[in-house]
Amino acid sequence: MPPFALVAPASVDAALAELRTAAPGEVAVLAGGTDLLFALDAGKNTPRRVVSLRRLPWRTLDWNGAVLTVGSTLPLRALEQDAEVAQRHPGLREATRAVGSVQLRHRATLGGNLGRAAPASDLIPVLLALDAEVDLVGPTGARWVPIDQFLVGSNRTALGAGELIRSVRFPEPRPSAYLWQRVRPANDISQVAVAAAYSPSTDRWRLAVGGIPPRALRLPEAEEMLRSRAPADSQIRGAAEWTARHLVIATDRRASEEYRRHLVATLLERAVQRVATTRPGAR
Amino acid sequence: MPAPLPLTVNGRSRPLEGVPDSERLLDTLRWRFGLKGTKEGCRSGDCGACTVLVDGVSTLSCLTLTHEVEGSALTTIEGMGEDPDGRVVQDAFERAGALQCGYCTPGFVVALVGLLKERGRAASIDDLLGDLGGNLCRCTGYLSIARALSLLPKEPP
Repeated sequence: MPPFALVAPASVDAALAELRTAAPGEVAVLAGGTDLLFALDAGKNTPRRVVSLRRLPWRTLDWNGAVLTVGSTLPLRALEQDAEVAQRHPGLREATRAVGSVQLRHRATLGGNLGRAAPASDLIPVLLALDAEVDLVGPTGARWVPIDQFLVGSNRTALGAGELIRSVRFPEPRPSAYLWQRVRPANDISQVAVAAAYSPSTDRWRLAVGGIPPRALRLPEAEEMLRSRAPADSQIRGAAEWTARHLVIATDRRASEEYRRHLVATLLERAVQRVATTRPGAR
Repeated sequence: MPAPLPLTVNGRSRPLEGVPDSERLLDTLRWRFGLKGTKEGCRSGDCGACTVLVDGVSTLSCLTLTHEVEGSALTTIEGMGEDPDGRVVQDAFERAGALQCGYCTPGFVVALVGLLKERGRAASIDDLLGDLGGNLCRCTGYLSIARALSLLPKEPP
């Protein structure tokens, strides 16, 4: 691995100061490191300094009434094992369990996954379906960014120079589901993944697709086609098939366009069915 | 001269000096401590062969910088004989003959010990097998590993 200096600031201010004094590309931020170490070793990322977030007080999971806030450096395994998350955000738990392996999730974090914004992120589709908000801190203070504005493109986010992801907020518990298809269940990347959620407060569906380059997407047209909490089977199938026909889908080494269109229709139909048949009383 | 990096390895305090910031835990264990039981497989987090326990929690040592686990207690396959969970897992692997070439075995044993510490002995075989999905056996000797799981005692000793 090319050499670099590792620093682990003991406070948020000290961490921000490390970023402020660095030229672009000179510094990399280390959360769990499960993606960064791979990139460093491959020479894809060649910083002179690596700023570790391990001493920052961000390994948190808080419920404030119905609002869930997850600290950016909480290991994904802790998110996955929280009983209340499983009950109130089932799709978030399913997506978390889709990441890597148990060993990897002991270190990997939500903030790291989001900062990297990989096209095949298992977490971003469900964050889109849950209307998550990203809490950023930087040289000019803190700001909240809705997840769909945070994602700018493939591997690109709205994170400004010198900013860090502090937490992610989930405003409302929603019946939700996350389904994927891939070659190997663990340590693999989804060929297609689908997140579905129903928002009780707005009586609207949220649908998102991932695993298809260049980036995860919300599916507003399909959302509009599902008009109620319990859409008819024909509506669900119609929305799924319309999406599979109209989505821009490329062939790459992971899957052909044809196979991906088949997966989009099948997984979307199943995910919506699963959410639609969730017992209404279940939180 | 920076202060030594505090580490506990298999129950013994073993502070280290002169570890480069970019060194991985896998390399520290194998080359500075000579603990060659921890295997390098893919070096990219895909195979689980390098699994060790960091404060009792299973961790991929190939994707972990040594300085990031400063002050932690590390347990490798060499320390499993001193660990009650380690002993029952090793005993089950032995009785089931759950190894072929043996290269993946330390990773499987340590990962399984980590799961028992996390979930307790009551976890079902299916759940344990699912949670071992990050460990690859290139001999494809999974049936004998599943047999070893079925030999685990359900109660703590």
